[in-house]
Amino acid sequence: MNNYLTVASIIFCIGALGVITRKNLIVVFMSLELMFNAANLGFVAASNYLNLISGDIFVIFIIVVAAAEAAIALGIAIAFYREKGTLDIDRANELKN
Amino acid sequence: MEELFYIFSFIAIFSALMVVIMRNPLTSALYLILCFFALAGLYVMLDMQFLAAMQILVYAGAIMVLVVLVIMLLNISRIKNVKSDLHQKIIGILIALILFIEIIVYIYNGAQKNPTGIFTEALIKKVGNTKIIGQFLFTVYMLPFEIASVLLLVAIVGAYLFAKKKY
Repeated sequence: MNNYLTVASIIFCIGALGVITRKNLIVVFMSLELMFNAANLGFVAASNYLNLISGDIFVIFIIVVAAAEAAIALGIAIAFYREKGTLDIDRANELKN
Repeated sequence: MEELFYIFSFIAIFSALMVVIMRNPLTSALYLILCFFALAGLYVMLDMQFLAAMQILVYAGAIMVLVVLVIMLLNISRIKNVKSDLHQKIIGILIALILFIEIIVYIYNGAQKNPTGIFTEALIKKVGNTKIIGQFLFTVYMLPFEIASVLLLVAIVGAYLFAKKKY
């Protein structure tokens, strides 16, 4: 199980790196999906090791939430592009001052 | 089996890295699809064929098609690509490294629980994982299942509202 958890943690950290470094809104969203998937892999590996089934059920619900989140996030991306004419997330600074 | 695990995890990690590194969003979207397929392979190795099928259908099928569609719709290659500054890159790599070391220390030094459940590999292989998941989903996890359907409805309405011209 440790091998699977190591792979999951590596993918999770790569996703976190992408969320922090990248500036394109859609790439940030894709890095977020990467982090979701790393968490899923951890759930499945742990539930396989402990002989449980609840981890796998959790993964199904995470996939449902990720699908809902994808629809909302891409709607936000389109609205943001229409408002600003760019996808640079540093331009989303209305709440700054 | 062991070699398959290394192959799949190598593909997953490599393509995850490429998602973050590549400049063109379309290239990173295609690498993300590759990463999802590799993770589906890992699910099959963990005896969860149903989840692997869900992963490919929902993630690689539905979500990534939506992402690629939005990339095409916004015509990203026309938009000026903003480079992230060095300062931000250093902080990002530092934070990711610290997070990684922390998780690894906890994985290898934490107290591990012994297997307690009844769903051993033999039982799952005998009954079939789809049947077990279906039985649990419609008995024990009935309420979360219904709430998930309401959540999807809310997401549909929300996406429509966001993408509308005037709020």
